Amino acid sequence: MVDTAATRALRTMDLIPYILENPGISIRELAKQFNVTEKQIESDLQLVFMCGLPGYTPYELIDLVFEDGVVSIIDPQVLDRPRRFAKSELVMITLGLQILMELNQSNQDRLNKLLALANKITKLGSSNSILFSPTGNKSPFLEIITQGISQGKRIHLTYHSLIKDQVSEREVLPHNLYFMNGNLYLSALDLSLNSDRVFKVELIKKCTLGEIASSDVIDGESSAVEVVLHVRKSHRNFIERNSSIITATEEMSDHFGVHIQMSNLEWLKRSILSNAPGIKVVSPTILVGEVRQLATSLLASYQAVKAI
Amino acid sequence: MSDQKTERLINLTLALLATKRYLTKNEIFRVVAGYSGSPETMERMFERDKDELRSMGIEIEVKGLDPLFEDDQGYLIKSESFQLQGNEFSKEELLYLTMAANLWHDSALQNDSKAALLKIQSLSGPIVSDEINTPAIRDNQSSQILSIAFNAVERQQRLTFQYKERIREVEPFGLYTRDGFWYLVAQEDLSVKSFKLLRIEGSLTTVGKPGEFKRPADFDLAAFIAQSKNEQASVAHLHVRKEQAFALRSKHATVEIDDEWDLMEVEYNFEQEIIETVLWHGLNVVVVKPESLRNQILSKIKELSNG
Repeated sequence: MVDTAATRALRTMDLIPYILENPGISIRELAKQFNVTEKQIESDLQLVFMCGLPGYTPYELIDLVFEDGVVSIIDPQVLDRPRRFAKSELVMITLGLQILMELNQSNQDRLNKLLALANKITKLGSSNSILFSPTGNKSPFLEIITQGISQGKRIHLTYHSLIKDQVSEREVLPHNLYFMNGNLYLSALDLSLNSDRVFKVELIKKCTLGEIASSDVIDGESSAVEVVLHVRKSHRNFIERNSSIITATEEMSDHFGVHIQMSNLEWLKRSILSNAPGIKVVSPTILVGEVRQLATSLLASYQAVKAI
Repeated sequence: MSDQKTERLINLTLALLATKRYLTKNEIFRVVAGYSGSPETMERMFERDKDELRSMGIEIEVKGLDPLFEDDQGYLIKSESFQLQGNEFSKEELLYLTMAANLWHDSALQNDSKAALLKIQSLSGPIVSDEINTPAIRDNQSSQILSIAFNAVERQQRLTFQYKERIREVEPFGLYTRDGFWYLVAQEDLSVKSFKLLRIEGSLTTVGKPGEFKRPADFDLAAFIAQSKNEQASVAHLHVRKEQAFALRSKHATVEIDDEWDLMEVEYNFEQEIIETVLWHGLNVVVVKPESLRNQILSKIKELSNG
């Protein structure tokens, strides 16, 4: 996308207080943070040399040093603080604070502070036309899991698996937590399988913090297989949701050819069934047969259980 | 795009921000770098620059300086409307703001999240804390549709889109998020309804100009959401295999039928969603009622079994 002069002017003005608080930052890092090319950052900074307050003597220009790929501000003139939050940013923050309050129901002190901050943000002009509707996401183990992630420690879980429908003991190295469709999930390396797994936090029955994981288990190899699917264009949602396991996609006339690298075939079979008939397995052959068998057995179940 | 124009916009902003008193156009033309040419040319340049800065959300104050001459207006930008104040947030508050923004960095709100984080880091430098590892929200919403909806709500501009196989034209009143999904609350044909953004088929487009309708002053979004939870949904009767499908069982009550099956009633608003849920449970859940739902599932799995 090509910048307009105004977009570029704003970005350039936003760079000044950012560099001021992060002196000696590299051009590469700035490019990453502001989501533009390094060349663009360099040309924005070149422009800054020409800008300042009326008079435009060296005392009135914005002054910065820019060498060996790093940059610092000497005199920001009036741009010593960032611009105010835009309305949509205030809305995003407000929604975020509401979720933090929901996650911290048991910590009264923090809850009060979050509430005070949310009120402050509302006064700055957040919108009352956009709301977060609570879902009741609470887990007594959130604090332990967060500690495990921050400190690189193992966690011992007692977990009720939905896919296998049984309770098991797991030793995991937690990566991160995320919300999807209102549920909270933990992504972690399962140390006994030496492969990444996703756990639904509400199904964790018990949880204790263990030792710091030794580095040799962190880069574990997993026994992933390559699966090729044909996904109809009407089901492109499946591709967007699972982009993290997709290694390649090719567009055909009425479908996408999708290559997936994965070890959890049970999950994949359920997904194919629930998206039926939008996803077709091309290979491996054994999976083609298993999906067909599953569909045939399900048809038989419907024949056995009559409609009422 | 010219460097000169970008430079002029920056210099104009800085001059209006630094001044203690309102600057007239003539003063601006005389002191701000970048204005040149005939008075008419400079006038046109200034009007365009002012409009562009305003369209980017910068508030430029205008004040009549001489009651006898309407043309003699002064301009300035108030620091407090343009910039955050240095002591506006405590260190701890900045940490919470960071956590709140971090929640959204993989979501449809990721652009706002990124922009706000840059501003927070421009106040405080990098924030490092164990606490920052809060969960991230992953929704399946396209940020483009969400941002169109958001702006239409704010600007009171009509929207049109296809939904449940019909073209709609609505007056958007609000947005809310529940269970990771976004809903648009809008008035269609004199009644206020919720539309799930993910179920919008194709694109979402604005119609007409901003401000063409007025959201009723007594409209209360929170009250609407509370009441919409009870809106009429369809009910599916499911047979659920004993000791199976715990995810469903944790949300819905069951009644025993025989040694093999329990009966469960599940409310739903979207057929496609209940179909996905039922099929996810494979051989362990069978729909017995309504017949239309049962037939749709049967036709889908027939197609799958034929390969």
